[in-house]
Amino acid sequence: MKINKRFILEITLIILSGLAIFFITQHNERWYQQPLAQVMTVKNSQPETTEDEFKNKDQQTHQKLTFKMLNGKHRGQVYPGTNTFSYSGGNDQQFFKGQKVFVNLEKNQNKTYVTISNYKRDTYLLMLIWALIAMTYLVARFKGMLALLSVGLNFIIFLLCVQIDVHYNIDHIFGLFSMSALVFLALSLALVIGINKQWLVTFSSIFIGTSAAMIIGIIALALTNNQGIHYEALDFATQSPKQLFMSATVIGLLGAVMDAATDIVSTLFELKRTDSNISRKQLFKSGQAVGKSIMGPLINVLLLIFFTEALAMAVLFFRTGNTLNYTFEWTMSLGVVQALISGIGITLVIPSASALSA
Amino acid sequence: MSSILLLTIILAVLMTLVGGKKGLISFFSVLLNFVILFVAVILISVGISPIGVTIFAGLALVATTIYMGNDEEKTTNVAFIATVISIGVLLLMIIPFDKFAAIQGFSPEQSEEIEAFNLLIGINFESITISVTILSTLGAIAEAAIAVASGLDELMEQNPNMTLAQLYESGRNIGFQIMGMTFNTLFFGMFGGDLALFILIAKMHAKFGYYLNSKIFVSESIEVLFSSIAIIFVIVMTTYLMGRRIKNKELIQK
Repeated sequence: MKINKRFILEITLIILSGLAIFFITQHNERWYQQPLAQVMTVKNSQPETTEDEFKNKDQQTHQKLTFKMLNGKHRGQVYPGTNTFSYSGGNDQQFFKGQKVFVNLEKNQNKTYVTISNYKRDTYLLMLIWALIAMTYLVARFKGMLALLSVGLNFIIFLLCVQIDVHYNIDHIFGLFSMSALVFLALSLALVIGINKQWLVTFSSIFIGTSAAMIIGIIALALTNNQGIHYEALDFATQSPKQLFMSATVIGLLGAVMDAATDIVSTLFELKRTDSNISRKQLFKSGQAVGKSIMGPLINVLLLIFFTEALAMAVLFFRTGNTLNYTFEWTMSLGVVQALISGIGITLVIPSASALSA
Repeated sequence: MSSILLLTIILAVLMTLVGGKKGLISFFSVLLNFVILFVAVILISVGISPIGVTIFAGLALVATTIYMGNDEEKTTNVAFIATVISIGVLLLMIIPFDKFAAIQGFSPEQSEEIEAFNLLIGINFESITISVTILSTLGAIAEAAIAVASGLDELMEQNPNMTLAQLYESGRNIGFQIMGMTFNTLFFGMFGGDLALFILIAKMHAKFGYYLNSKIFVSESIEVLFSSIAIIFVIVMTTYLMGRRIKNKELIQK
């Protein structure tokens, strides 16, 4: 009965914390310096049908809105504003009564009106983070929280490296992010398996697998003169897109290689513990066997992550009269290259992990 | 020769060298998944409902990932069912959530890339965002399911008299390890993909409020968070389904 009581207490605390986050983020206007307003009334126009040169039909609707200011010196005052939304909603959205938005106040001929700058999304983001933490705790208790902690720490290191890059305007970002990848690796492995011989073996096999894959990838790209690859198609690129792409590939590759290597190394260490007479050759073989069965699914995991990033852009390219080949080269080829290099890394870490543990 | 072709050949050769026949089969499962994804993109572009396409493509992707790499029928079936149920639940959560959070389509940060396009293309970007979230997570969900199922199956074989309580206990242990590793795979995969975005945000000297509210940051985070929730769900689901097999066996013995 004692456990049951504790369980009820925990559930109550979790639900209460969720409600608290919800309530606070619904009433946190004062946190923000940018003017925040709530939609009070909405009047929609008749939808207009549009058609572009590729015979894509869409609908546009104009909205006349009034906003009540929620913070700043205009707090409580009501101003008008307009919005347009479409059926497809590529970069617009329909507003409803009660929604909160970040706005700019503008004056035109003594009339003040509101232009919408950004929708308020903090409640949704924080509620989802809360849901993940609550679920992890309920399922895996403190050990689960440790897994989240390792991810959180990596995220902070990652952001620090980004800050270093921006602050010092580093030319060799590939070098910087490869170094940070090593730190991620050492830290995550230490949290999952602790610092011991197994850590060293896992670390070195991942290091060998990842570097070999990157070297093969870079040589292959150089040999073929990057034919069919457009680094300039990389989204959000503000620095040398090729180096950015390579850094992204190293970081993306690392997680999956880590997954494969820890599986193999921990199985082999377990085998060595249960049977100390086991031969090196036998161990190497078992390692290969474990590797074979996880190789396919892991490469698929990465293919899906990298490929789907470009999906919305690819649909936009297709719908606006671009050919299959052109769309592939400009939207999907980078993701495919990342998946291929990662696949090579996952494959190479199998023999390197097996050999090092044996 | 194009770079992608050369890299594909290198991958095929390496996978065959390391994995033998099984490696070659795995290579073809990756190739097949690529074809399924490509066809899915074309079908969505033609104007077929993105969510409908995702459901069919998703089933095909899960099936190739699970069945083409493993031949243990007992475990693969459990993994398949657990994955499909988890994706179903995920879909039910995502559809209303994405609508409320309004994270569809492109963000102001992308305006340079999309300024040449007329965005009124008659395809609902909200459904496309939902498709992206489901498709990108699918592989990780299937991989976690198969790892838990085969791990538990191994234990059940070594210890045939295992009770349900013991199984759930082991399920939690194995599940925790797999969860930690899968979180890493997912987060690294997605951090890697968003590297350029993070640099851009840092260059804008964004405030904390930007991170909590901007369309692009929130939508990328929501994708990662939903994926992680789905991973936890599928681990619990797989353990439960494997447990039902023990229960059935006990009933038969009685």
